Formats: sequence, C-alpha cells, structure tokens
Amino acid sequence: MAFSVLIVDDSAVMRGFIRRVLTLSGFEVGECLEASNGEEALARLEGHSVDVILTDINMPKMNGEELLRRLETDERLRSVPTVVISTDATKARILKMLSLGADGYMTKPFSPEALREELERVLGARNA
Amino acid sequence: MKSLVVGISDCKVSNDLDSVLVTYALGSCIAVALYDPATKVGGLLHYMLPESALDTQKAQDNPFMFADTGIKALFKAVAASGGHPRRMVVRLAGGAQVLDSQGVFQIGKRNYLAARKILWKAGVLISAEAVGGEVSRTTRLDLATGRMWIREAGGIEKELMHSHSSKKAVEGG
Amino acid sequence: MPEQLQPASPVEEAPEFGPVVVRVAAEVLETMFFEEALPSACEHAWLAQAVSAQLSFEGSHCGEFLLSVPPGTARSIAAGFLGVDPEEMSETQPGEVILELANILCGALMSTLWPESNLSLGTPELVSAEHSFPAAMHCCFSLPEGMVAVSIALGSRDAA
Repeated sequence: MAFSVLIVDDSAVMRGFIRRVLTLSGFEVGECLEASNGEEALARLEGHSVDVILTDINMPKMNGEELLRRLETDERLRSVPTVVISTDATKARILKMLSLGADGYMTKPFSPEALREELERVLGARNA
Repeated sequence: MKSLVVGISDCKVSNDLDSVLVTYALGSCIAVALYDPATKVGGLLHYMLPESALDTQKAQDNPFMFADTGIKALFKAVAASGGHPRRMVVRLAGGAQVLDSQGVFQIGKRNYLAARKILWKAGVLISAEAVGGEVSRTTRLDLATGRMWIREAGGIEKELMHSHSSKKAVEGG
Repeated sequence: MPEQLQPASPVEEAPEFGPVVVRVAAEVLETMFFEEALPSACEHAWLAQAVSAQLSFEGSHCGEFLLSVPPGTARSIAAGFLGVDPEEMSETQPGEVILELANILCGALMSTLWPESNLSLGTPELVSAEHSFPAAMHCCFSLPEGMVAVSIALGSRDAA
C-alpha cells in the first residue's frame, strides 16, 4: 500500500536527502510533499492527507514547535505520525518535542539507514 | 555444502544453492555481500583499498582490489547472473583499524566510508553491517537462504542481522 | 550603531576546543557525508578563495559560527552528500550543501560543548572569504579532499 509523506525543512538539499532515502528504502511512496517552513506545511496539508510528517525545528516564519502545536489542535491532522529531524540533541529539546506530540525524534547527522529504520518503526506502528 | 573461498582482492558470484561464499582475514579490508532473495544469486567482494585512482594500473589488472572498481564489478556480475539491483540485500563486514605489515597504514575507516559513499551514489541502502573495531573478521554467505555470518578473531560465529541504528532515534510515547 | 560582538571572557570558552571539533566533525562528516575528518595543523593560505558559511546562535550562549572550505572540497563534499558525480551538480548546490553542513555541525557542536543549554540557531548564510572573527575559538582539520576551518566567537550583543 502506497503511503504519502510531507517533508518540512528550510534546506532544499536536506529535503532532497530525505526524499532519496524514502525512494531507496523500498517503501511504496505515493505523494511526497515538501515545505520549507511550518506555514507552508500547513498550507500543503489543506486538502491533502499524508501518512507521516517529517519536520525540522529551526525554520523561518513558523518553526517546528509551532507546527506541532497547530497539528495537535487539528482534528484531522493530530493523528498523523510526526517525526522531528533536528540538529538539537539536547535532552530538553527532545522531551519538549515529544511532549508536543512528536512520535519520534532524529538528530542530525543521521545515516540513510537510520532514517529508513525510523520510518519502518513509525509506519509499522501505524499499520499495527 | 561447498565453500567458495573469496581471497583478498577477489570476488565470486554464484547461484548454486549448495554453496557458501566465504572470505577470511578481513582486517582493514571490506567485504561487500550482495544477495537477491528472489533468484538466490549472491556475490561476495573482498577489497583492500578505497580508490582505484591510487593506482590505475593495478586497478586494470585487478578491479577487485579497490572499492570503486570492485563494487561496480560485483554489481555487474550479480546482475549478469540474474540478480536484480532493486531487490539486492547489501551487507558489509570488515573495516577494522588494524595495523598492516608496515605497522603504520590504517585505512579500515576509509575503506568503509568508500563503500558507503559508492553505495549511496548507486542508490543502494545497506541492510546490515559488522564493521570497525580492532579485530579481524571472517564472513560467510549461504546462497540457499541469503543468511550471513560473521566471526571475529577469538570470538564465536554470529549471524549478521538487520541493523538497528537506535542511537539516532528516540521513540515517542 | 551596528551590533557588535564583545570579546568573550576566558571562562566562556570551552576547553579542548580543537579535539572536540574534530571528534564532532568526524561524526557529522562520516555519518551523512561519507568523508573522513582527521586532525591537522592550521593552514590558512586557501581561506582567501574559501566557500564560507556563517550562522549566529543565541540563548544561554550567543555568538557566531563560521565554517570554511576550499571550493574543490566543497564540490566534493556536496557530491558525496547528494550521491551524484560533481559534474551533475548545479552551480548553487555545493553552497547549499555547505550551508546545511554548517547548520548540522554547529548544532552538533553546541549540543556537545553545552549540553544543558537552551540555544536557537539562525539561518546559515554564505559570506565572503574575507569574513573573520576577532578572539574566536578556531581549528582546522583535513579531509582527503582538502582542509576545513571552523571558528566560534562567543559574546554578548550590544544593541543599538
């Protein structure tokens, strides 16, 4: 069954890296949407449903924290699994994002294989 | 059960279900194992050095000595025997930081990074790996099942399972 | 009056900056860029032509982070990250990859140097080769394809 994903990161090359991992991972990827900040992400999600959201934290206009808050208040979007992908490896930040509803947290740098495994875990949990 | 031994700077490909591909003395060298579970074609490469540009004449004489020429040749050979790139299970072993006979030239890490860079460029993710450390390894690939085993010098043989890079991920509630 | 970075007091500087940078850089470059980083003596002749990325950070610590690499090294790092041959890259992709490397390396360094801190990173920008900091923590290290220079300047900002 094909799944669709939204990648939110202000770096186009990082979005490309993530997209490449998705393609190579053997998942059946349907739609792969992209956004460069939280505001764009919410706009992309209007009228689209996705199976997983991958989001950075540090972004202009609307950061990842605010995006998670908005997703939690939306009836339709709050159940979509979200994985935070960030350079911030501090305990405080990780706990904060998990408490805001993130289903997973990956710190950059990560290998392509580590991202694939995290996606397997999140999508596997969704299908369980 | 036949053992097809892969030497240093060597590569073998087979679809013989009675055979096991095996290579020994993986110190700083890297073994790249490919296996297509559908056609049961497997290949095992044992290379010594990261880049053929280091010695283009040697690379012409023996492409299996280097990561770039060796991995390319391995994929080509496995494909020619019926292995499909998109189905290929790829595993790595070796890349230990051990001293060579001169005592100074330690390239285990660079050999490992060369394989990762080449495989990423080729569009292939690694399913499992047993790399690094300071001990030599032996590895074998069972062509009937696609299972792979590793034995570290002084240790017991263990199966190489799908790797879990859990240090990079934190599970949410 | 433009904002000025005041030189940091000695107690603000992290100990063993060089070894920490090389260790963190090695982890970053090996994991996501497939490059090996090794300690090296400082060498700055190439800085005049460098591709340089700068970002600021603020919170419990504030300051500026600067990453510089020679143009050929930038292309090599970028090609490895993107999984392409250098000839296949657009003109802007090497710079974009160096910006993201600066972002990741700065974040990883901050988390290592000050793990209990609360920091936010600014958006990285490419800056001119002449850009440099006074009184910065600095080190160089090497990749197979060339040198890398990292600098951090800590200080308080005096607003206009």
